[in-house]
Amino acid sequence: MSMLNKRKVYDITMQSLTYLSSIVSIVVLLAIVFFVFQKGYRLISWDLITHNYQSVTYTADLKEDQESGTFISTKTFDDGSFYSTKWGIAIKDDENLIGGTSVFITYVHPDSPLNALNNKGVGIEDLSVDVDYQIIRVAFDGASSALAIHGAEHMIEVWDSQDSFRELEFSTTGGGIRGSIITTLYLIVLTLIFALPIGVGAAIYLTEYAKNNRFTRFLRQMIETLTGIPSIIYGLMGLAVFVPLTIRLTDATGANIISGALTLTVILLPVIIRTTEESLKVVPDDYRYASLALGASQTQTTFKVVLPNATAGILTATLLAIGRIIGESAALVFAIGTAVKDDIRLTEKSTSLAVHIWSMMTDEPANIELSSTIALIILAIVLVLNISIKLLSKRMLRKQGVKK
Amino acid sequence: MKKLFGIILLTLALTLSACTNAEDTFDETKNITVYTRDTTSGTRAGFMEGIGFADAATNDSLLVEGFVIKDNTGIMTSMTTDQFGIGYVSLSSVNDTIKPLSFEGVEPTLANVINDTYGLKRPFMWMVRDAGDYSSETVEALVNAFVAFLGTTDAQDIINNNGAIGLNATQSWDDIKANHPVTQQDNTGVVVRFGGSDSIQKVAEALTNSFTSKAGNFTAEHDHTGSGDAYKRTQDPAIKDTSVGKDVGFASRYFKDAEKVGVETSDFGQLAWDAIVAIVHKDNPLNNVTADDLKKIYEGTYATWSDLLD
Amino acid sequence: MQHVEIPVIKQHKEKRIKDRFVKIILLSFTLLSSSFIFIVAGTILVKGVTPFITNNNGLGSVSFIPFLTGDTWLIGESFHSNLYSIGFIIASTLMIALLSLVVSFPIGVLTALFIAKVAPKKLANILRTVIELLASIPSIIYGLFGAGIILNLVYNFSAAIGYQSKGGNSMLASILVLAIMTIPTITSISEVAIRSVDKNLEEGSLALGASKTQTHFKVVLFAAKSGIFTSAILGIGRALGEATAVSLVAGGRRSGYSFDLLDTTSTLTTIMLEGMKETIGLDYDIRFSVGIVLIVVIILTNIILNFVKRKVGNVNVK
Repeated sequence: MSMLNKRKVYDITMQSLTYLSSIVSIVVLLAIVFFVFQKGYRLISWDLITHNYQSVTYTADLKEDQESGTFISTKTFDDGSFYSTKWGIAIKDDENLIGGTSVFITYVHPDSPLNALNNKGVGIEDLSVDVDYQIIRVAFDGASSALAIHGAEHMIEVWDSQDSFRELEFSTTGGGIRGSIITTLYLIVLTLIFALPIGVGAAIYLTEYAKNNRFTRFLRQMIETLTGIPSIIYGLMGLAVFVPLTIRLTDATGANIISGALTLTVILLPVIIRTTEESLKVVPDDYRYASLALGASQTQTTFKVVLPNATAGILTATLLAIGRIIGESAALVFAIGTAVKDDIRLTEKSTSLAVHIWSMMTDEPANIELSSTIALIILAIVLVLNISIKLLSKRMLRKQGVKK
Repeated sequence: MKKLFGIILLTLALTLSACTNAEDTFDETKNITVYTRDTTSGTRAGFMEGIGFADAATNDSLLVEGFVIKDNTGIMTSMTTDQFGIGYVSLSSVNDTIKPLSFEGVEPTLANVINDTYGLKRPFMWMVRDAGDYSSETVEALVNAFVAFLGTTDAQDIINNNGAIGLNATQSWDDIKANHPVTQQDNTGVVVRFGGSDSIQKVAEALTNSFTSKAGNFTAEHDHTGSGDAYKRTQDPAIKDTSVGKDVGFASRYFKDAEKVGVETSDFGQLAWDAIVAIVHKDNPLNNVTADDLKKIYEGTYATWSDLLD
Repeated sequence: MQHVEIPVIKQHKEKRIKDRFVKIILLSFTLLSSSFIFIVAGTILVKGVTPFITNNNGLGSVSFIPFLTGDTWLIGESFHSNLYSIGFIIASTLMIALLSLVVSFPIGVLTALFIAKVAPKKLANILRTVIELLASIPSIIYGLFGAGIILNLVYNFSAAIGYQSKGGNSMLASILVLAIMTIPTITSISEVAIRSVDKNLEEGSLALGASKTQTHFKVVLFAAKSGIFTSAILGIGRALGEATAVSLVAGGRRSGYSFDLLDTTSTLTTIMLEGMKETIGLDYDIRFSVGIVLIVVIILTNIILNFVKRKVGNVNVK
């Protein structure tokens, strides 16, 4: 009976260790998600995702025939807005898309002279202010300007004390991350197009075709050593090798999305090859021998019998790869650059979501809230991709008749 | 399941005990934990020069043993945790989670920097390429117009609006724009590349946002990587013509002598000041420091808080 | 009847040609994959060797042995001195990577076991998705989490045991952050390996009278050795190569060998990260030299781990 007791003790210890470890993992990982969520959910909005990063600024002054007057309004502004009867405009302090405070326009009186402004810059001649535009500053002749940093109340006070203004600078909303999202999607597609064939192909060669000799071991070793190299070094290699390469082959003039995808391919190869190899190794040899015995060629055996059975592992590799692509920032800082763009072209600089985070974090002061928001968006994208790939693969496997 | 429960309780107990807060009274016998930026930081250069410890700007071996290196945000968040730490940040980062210290009796406010009574500050500088060294004449004319813009009241407004301190200007852009006819034409599609210090990124982007609307809507491309790159990417022959070259570079410190070699005096200048503030944890009883105090703290002569507070 | 055989032979020949063709393509993919390490190493070698063999614009060349064994990052002013050394950094890097693997490996593997064998199917699927999600969080966010939460924990923990830590910035914080980052990698890959273990082995063990737990630990884990080891190799690879996250919690130690868990530290990657902005001069090139040392460390670790793996043997491998 003491044997059974010993075994019971052993069983219980190991079981509790297993449960404990899983709880620790889950608690810690959930803590991270919770942390990111708590910091970032406030700024999530459809506007953030769809807007351009660049806000468009307009400089305007009054048209010749317009002037200030008295624009009484019976509206009550109880949301913190301040109204100027002289100019017929209501403004308030509010949070902009990236978490900073700006002065927003909340109401414009229909007769206000601000509806017919003259554009001091080049382009369309007539401008008008509108609700939700942000006022940056109002400049006067003979008085110091009213700046947004001093708040809406101060701005209304100064504005009311003046009879005319030299120029009004206002802007449309900016700070959106649409460009970065599009860049990230391009990167994922391009990198997978490059990396999957090469990676899966190399894994197939190493498991199915290669003999187990020194040369093969050497090749494997060389591939594995790529895993530990810090991303910065890949970035530098991308800058030194892939950027000139793409400049020569396309009309790019600097770092671009294609060079970024090539750099990411190199980073991902070891992971893809390793995971694919592991899942290929597990396919029982019986399948291979049976197929060959039935007269199939090596190629047919590999691609029609072995590979479908290893699909689960290859999918895991793909998902890990996508995760890495989306999360990679250090290498891309060098290989694609840090210029946030709205107009995305494959042969131009741009930022992926992770690099956008990097850009926000190296600001002074860093924008931790926005970084967390972008991280949440990243998680959402990965979740969607994850689920869709899994659903697709289930359907694909069912068609092929492979049991899972 | 009982076992599971027991384990969960145990872990909770451990974490709770670790989370108990520190004492209420400030323990003066503790060592001063010194926080600083790394040697490439313009803020560090400005700070060290301001306290009379200029040699330590790029030399780590002169600092007290055991300092902690963090970036701007890192120092801010560290001061919210570490009761016994001291660090320095740019004025635009200061908020109410930490305690800013007065310098030589003067409080660190924008007003005090403008009237020149607050002494701990660093310049924001700009540098451009040599005349004739641009990708096109339009770009060169736009850059010249931008430089002129930096000296107007409009630019100073934008600078002040973003937390830095603009220099005194007398003319507005309207007064001088006739000198720069390139700004009256349609410049959509013309790309001007800006780079340099990442501390200035916000101010630089605000300036270009404002200026593009006045200068024909050209495209301003921003890629900020550090103060050293202001010189390197506009003037250094080895780098300026590569794919990372820039047309305008910003630095958050004075240019070093090595960076002025072969550069025309009209190719660089100052656009603003930025104040540096020494900060401590909110529980710290300290309110004011002198330059000498800070120097002694950073070189290690003052090792514990009692050395300074008594 | 001869004309019946010819198509069959032709088919064989075609198959063989196709086979050889495919084999060549796959071989070229493999060769391409293996060659990247040389391209990467080449780029770094070129830059990284210059501090040792050139005069560095009048500063004098850096001596190799003091570089590898010294205890102060830089004596003197940057860009004005050639007295660099990283001995103490190499020591801390190894210690941090190993200790973080000591923490993350058991947790990761046991969690993988839990997901693959113990948990009910629905729960397992959810957990698997959660872990795959977490592998894609940018490392900066882990760094932020570290700076926000882990620093606090370490600070309070050290205050509770009576030691004044520097705001929590310490080797311990770095180890914890790295462990957290590597758990998803180890768990995913080990989980795939465990799931793929032949059911027959499991059933055989149970049939012989072993308990479920014994089967799990003595048979299944043993059979999935190869995959689990791979996960460890990839995990330590990530730990050795992580820069941004660690730089936010390490503290940036600049001198002195230290094995104190609660003291500030530096790793090879955080030292490289700092100087990457200024683009010429000795201060920049020396980062590449650090990079070379890092690659050597990684290669050595890989070789040692692979050696151990071969010694321990494999089950069910071709």
